[in-house]
Amino acid sequence: MSDATDLHDAPLPAVGLSRRHLMALAGAMGLPGLASAQGTPAKGGVLKVSASANPSSLDPATGGAGSDHTFLWTMFDTLVEWDYETLKAKPGMAAFNFPDPRTLVLDIKPGITFHDGTPMDAAAVKFNLDRGRTDQRSNIKADLQNVAEVVVTGPLQATIKLARPDTALPAILSDRAGMMVSPKAVQALGQEHDRKPVGAGPWKFVSWSANEKVVVTRADKYWRADRGFVDGIEFSIIPELATGLRAVVAGQNDFAYNVPPRLMPLIDKAKNLTKVTGPTLYCLQLYFNTAKKGLDNLKVRQAINFALDRPGFVKASLAGVGEPAYMQLPKTHWAYDPTLVGLYPHNIEKAKALLAEAGYKDGIELTVGSYTDQDSVRRSEIVGEQLRKAGIRLKFITGTIPEISGQMFGNEKKFDMLLSAWTGRPDPSMTYSLMYSKDAYFNAGRTDHGAKMAELLAESRVAERIEGRKLIFWQLQRLIMEQALVAPLAFQYELVAAGQQVKGYKPNLLGKPKYEFISKA
Amino acid sequence: MAASHRLRVIRRRLLQAVPVLVLATFVVFGLLKLMPGDIAITLAGENATEQRIAEIRALYGLDRPFLVQYGSWLANAVQGDLSKSLATGEKVATSIARAFPNTLLIVVLAMSVALAIGVPLGMLAASRPDGARDRIVTSVASLGIAVPNFWLAMLLVAWLALGTGWFPATGAKPLAEGLGPALHHAILPALALAAGGVAEVSRQLRSSLVEILSSPPVRTLRAKGLSPAAILWKHGLKNAGVNLLTVTTLLFNRLLAATVVVEAVFAIPGMGNLIVNAALTRDLPVVQGVVFVMVLVVITINLTADLLYTVLDPRIK
Repeated sequence: MSDATDLHDAPLPAVGLSRRHLMALAGAMGLPGLASAQGTPAKGGVLKVSASANPSSLDPATGGAGSDHTFLWTMFDTLVEWDYETLKAKPGMAAFNFPDPRTLVLDIKPGITFHDGTPMDAAAVKFNLDRGRTDQRSNIKADLQNVAEVVVTGPLQATIKLARPDTALPAILSDRAGMMVSPKAVQALGQEHDRKPVGAGPWKFVSWSANEKVVVTRADKYWRADRGFVDGIEFSIIPELATGLRAVVAGQNDFAYNVPPRLMPLIDKAKNLTKVTGPTLYCLQLYFNTAKKGLDNLKVRQAINFALDRPGFVKASLAGVGEPAYMQLPKTHWAYDPTLVGLYPHNIEKAKALLAEAGYKDGIELTVGSYTDQDSVRRSEIVGEQLRKAGIRLKFITGTIPEISGQMFGNEKKFDMLLSAWTGRPDPSMTYSLMYSKDAYFNAGRTDHGAKMAELLAESRVAERIEGRKLIFWQLQRLIMEQALVAPLAFQYELVAAGQQVKGYKPNLLGKPKYEFISKA
Repeated sequence: MAASHRLRVIRRRLLQAVPVLVLATFVVFGLLKLMPGDIAITLAGENATEQRIAEIRALYGLDRPFLVQYGSWLANAVQGDLSKSLATGEKVATSIARAFPNTLLIVVLAMSVALAIGVPLGMLAASRPDGARDRIVTSVASLGIAVPNFWLAMLLVAWLALGTGWFPATGAKPLAEGLGPALHHAILPALALAAGGVAEVSRQLRSSLVEILSSPPVRTLRAKGLSPAAILWKHGLKNAGVNLLTVTTLLFNRLLAATVVVEAVFAIPGMGNLIVNAALTRDLPVVQGVVFVMVLVVITINLTADLLYTVLDPRIK
């Protein structure tokens, strides 16, 4: 974790929030770095959380929703962890190193046990990774596709043999694939482990009433003394975000996350609440189907990028709680490329000229998939108005998320574009391969973006040192943006509302809350 | 004789319920299948691939023909197995057993409020038709019908939960944790639901009573010197009972449906929330299970009403 003093006071773009401001907000919540001066947080109390979605499963290998992580991290520690501010991989339950590009060695820390008493050792790691690779119900097969074999090379050492180099693997092991479940519990419970999970995290499972509540309680033999301060966590599932916030305002719950920026005035108005905000990978963007007529033309895609007023979008749709997106990584990410900021300045005349060059002198009409919730409707109106000025007329078709995303990325290919978000992944190579590989599901047109793209995607997983990887990602991101394969709009910052008794919460770049440092005063 | 008649009514209604159940679940199943969206995509998760989506369809039998899928669900349902949620893995029967009491409590409470306020208001209005009291009751009733229950719910939260802190703003407590806490959580949602019910009961009862009180038999009673109060209580209300029962039955069924909105505002884990979340994710087993149970409930309510009709008015066969 970076020390708070590493942070500079550089203003964040366009939102009126400086790093000092963010730190002040976070400080009000009692960050660990600041809390150290006040002593170790006291243990005790139950944290009551308004959770915005029901988990898809409490088994990390069989679930699939991005919203699951905030539940999973309470019960499962990961082999690898990441820095809260940059997402750089760092040791979790295991230290890791690549003796050669096709071998990853994991040295597991001693003394870790699962909540059922099973030792968290090399055999458990092998069991988990093999299960992730081969189990019929596993949703993480693609994450582990480069793993050829997992070998137990010591009681606390597992060696992963790779079919091809994959330096993204440590980051992948900070995600679902690295959340270790008790082999004994999985063997005993079978599919029921989805609903009665056993991990090695700070809290252990108590109950899950679907669409109502998830309850966890302190794991007494947790291996780290410096985290896991509250005695338990009760998640109330409240999909309606304003209602979830009301539960915190009323004092029934202590903590609400995923609060939409439009509700920020309510947090400000409530005297008993503190807000925390921070950058995330959550990128609002226009996905393109580059196989569709019109968007198969580079100049049209570039025109869209020029026509967007990103700072204006942040101000109008996110109440300033975000930053303009000029690529798919936010400013604080370790692979962020600052030179891309000037690639598509807001320039209506340039957009019109590009459209004319592409043969659309009188403008172009495009269909856009979008969602029916209040925030999506507002975003649609803003983007529609911005693009209209350049002669790009948008016809929005709205529906629920499964409906619209299925119509965009499934067989139907109904829309030219989709106005939605990319929630981010721990390693940028995961994002880029999921969106720009030829057969990737999120490459709506299944378009082949050329040999250079394939080469860079492969190289991004070969380079070992982070500096080398950063340079490859810079090339990759430049290629994506020069080809205008997407129109990033803004990174929506995490917005959390918490009761004043909640101390120690720290936002992270994934934008999915972890509760390990929280204490209740 | 009366008992055997009632048994015949019950048997007939239960037989009628079978095609209603099949038809309702079939239509809902068909509609959900026709709607765009695919739970296999949701289940494949954030790192979905075409291959994984196809695997999931095969794994959960979602690639089977429509009629085979429906037939399979129906065959299990008639054996009491409502299957498991595709989205959460929880048994549908378990989800319903937990959610239904929350919904039922709100609806019963709302019905009680609607009757406790609506009946006296209706009587008051009917006691002097077109008088000042009647006009006031009519205005109040119009307001009750016109005010959307979600808006009223938000006002109640703002005033009585966030403002005064007298009631919880969200959530529900099961009856197992005690009647007091359960009622405490259910009062605001029930009040929000009851507003329209008060209006409906009072208006319908008023109309019914006015008609009865102006009928020749009542005029005769009045001519014989029976007091207005005695006429109203003994003859008016008794004769309006059948009409009131019809209104109550319809209202109960309508309130069951109206909980969808109110449960969302108060974050109540009831049947409304259950079916909305399931429909949004195309979680067919849950939607089917909820529809199945709700149809059964409505049939039971209607059957109960039919039986009560025969008690209130023996002339009804």
